[in-house]
Amino acid sequence: MVLGIIIGYFCFLLGLGIFGSRLLKLTSGDYFLASRGIGPFMLLMSIFGTTMTAFALVGSTGETFKQGIGIYGQMASWSGIVHSAVFFLIGAKVWAIGKEHGYLTQLSYLRDRYQSNSLPLVLFPILVGFVTVYILMGVMGGGAFLEALLGKDAAGAPKMPKWLGMLLISSVVMFYVFWGGMRATVWANTIQTLVFMGTGVIAFYVITKGAGGVDSFLEAARTATDKVADSEASDRMTRAGIGKGEFATYFLIPLSVGMFPHLFQHWLTAKRASNFKLTVVAHPICILITWLPCCLIGMWAAGVLPAETPSNAVLAIMVKKFSSSEVLRGILGAGVLAAIMSSMDSQFLCISSMFTNDIVIPHCGEGKYSEKQQVWMGRVFVVVVVAACYVIGLFNNRSVFKIGVWCFSGFSSLVPIVVAALYWKRSNGQGVIASAISVAVLWLAGLAFVFSGTLTKQVFGGKFLIAGMHPVTGLITVATVVLITVTLLTPPPDKALVEKFFGAHDSESE
Amino acid sequence: MKWIILILILGISVLHHDVWWWTSKERVFGFIPIGLAWHAFISIAASMIWVIAVFTCWPDELDKRFDQLDATAAESGSEEE
Repeated sequence: MVLGIIIGYFCFLLGLGIFGSRLLKLTSGDYFLASRGIGPFMLLMSIFGTTMTAFALVGSTGETFKQGIGIYGQMASWSGIVHSAVFFLIGAKVWAIGKEHGYLTQLSYLRDRYQSNSLPLVLFPILVGFVTVYILMGVMGGGAFLEALLGKDAAGAPKMPKWLGMLLISSVVMFYVFWGGMRATVWANTIQTLVFMGTGVIAFYVITKGAGGVDSFLEAARTATDKVADSEASDRMTRAGIGKGEFATYFLIPLSVGMFPHLFQHWLTAKRASNFKLTVVAHPICILITWLPCCLIGMWAAGVLPAETPSNAVLAIMVKKFSSSEVLRGILGAGVLAAIMSSMDSQFLCISSMFTNDIVIPHCGEGKYSEKQQVWMGRVFVVVVVAACYVIGLFNNRSVFKIGVWCFSGFSSLVPIVVAALYWKRSNGQGVIASAISVAVLWLAGLAFVFSGTLTKQVFGGKFLIAGMHPVTGLITVATVVLITVTLLTPPPDKALVEKFFGAHDSESE
Repeated sequence: MKWIILILILGISVLHHDVWWWTSKERVFGFIPIGLAWHAFISIAASMIWVIAVFTCWPDELDKRFDQLDATAAESGSEEE
């Protein structure tokens, strides 16, 4: 029954892709940006759905189980402040520039802003590398969740092994993105965001009552917390395991939304700049609705599950353990998968559009391929990237949370580039390229510690921290210093270029 | 008003670092650890600050520019007809 409901949900998404394809005009503007016609509510849902991933549900529950409730403060409440600031100060401005100059992607804006054909060639592999890790997180989180939710058969084999779950999720998302483009992606994101928020509330209610073991919701919640307080895991109710420097520097991680190429593309779909207002205001509340129940479930899990439970499986095990109805379990499972898939679709569409618009067209010539051929080339590129994620995911069991935080650290370190592009008239392509290369080198060096817990223990004696702070602090500092230094040591941009992006009056007043 | 918003954002960022409840196991409503409840409050307060920001500091000129361009395009279109 559980599997039937999940398969039914997958079929619904496939239908959405087919329906989207009937309305699709097969022009790149419609396929990649839904003709820039998205209203406030759908913009909020698609942006929020895109930022909430396996990391937010599977990762937050698992990490609270391992480290305690400080995860909410580290990621969720910082995100409520920082994400909205980014939408306000970067998102709306990017929308206006994108609409004025007709940009389809982040790289097309940066190439034009700095009049540099080398810039996309440097940034493309870096961004694709970061997005690949992001997709990997979704694929791995989804596969692990399905395997744990569906359990084992009589012979002790998983009913849905991780490899099959990963394959199914990737294939469904690829299908509806390929056939429906951005329009289907926005619809799917809106529906999936409503599904995962709605089912999240139901899951929280059901798990609370199950974990507490009494009829009254409040009493059940109190009993569940009592169980944690009386257990050896009572420190999960505090931040005892988290350093103060580490906690404070986590505010740099949510800056990453400023450089997510897939989110950049969602910003460009808005019909008006004022459509961002609802997103800016409601985003912190949407985060609260999603993260608070997950953190409480993770904390309660610490009171009832063995400490060695894999962190990526905690949410699924709690759903399975405390929801007696198979129908409900199936609906809750579909809700979690909705959150995971609502990010993957935007990422697939984004790397496909970057590949065609920023690599193929500028380097092969404008009229060489038809619009239809360009769309197909993007699709093939996505298949290659997803296949790479699938293979890496098969042989990796690291925590989705740890992978996610490092992925976001990379994006955060590139944010000085977009801030300079929007607000610093003197900035130039040389500074941006040098900054991006410095980020790529340091990020790759750090990746080894993310994927190897043993190496991290050997070198850092525990957590991957530098002087008690998250390494993202060093990454952003280096990226900013390199950007400023190289920019000031190289010639300023042409006056005409500055006027194009800042206006004649502003350019003179500098 | 921009300065007031900036001060509010800086203020909430300072309050975010609630060292005073770091290891406290006190509870709100009997089930939410106080450290978690405080950060849920921070999320709500952040949303309130953003309400004030969008009502007082929103860059309306971003839309106005395109509205004017659309109006000009519509006018020239009707003249051609």
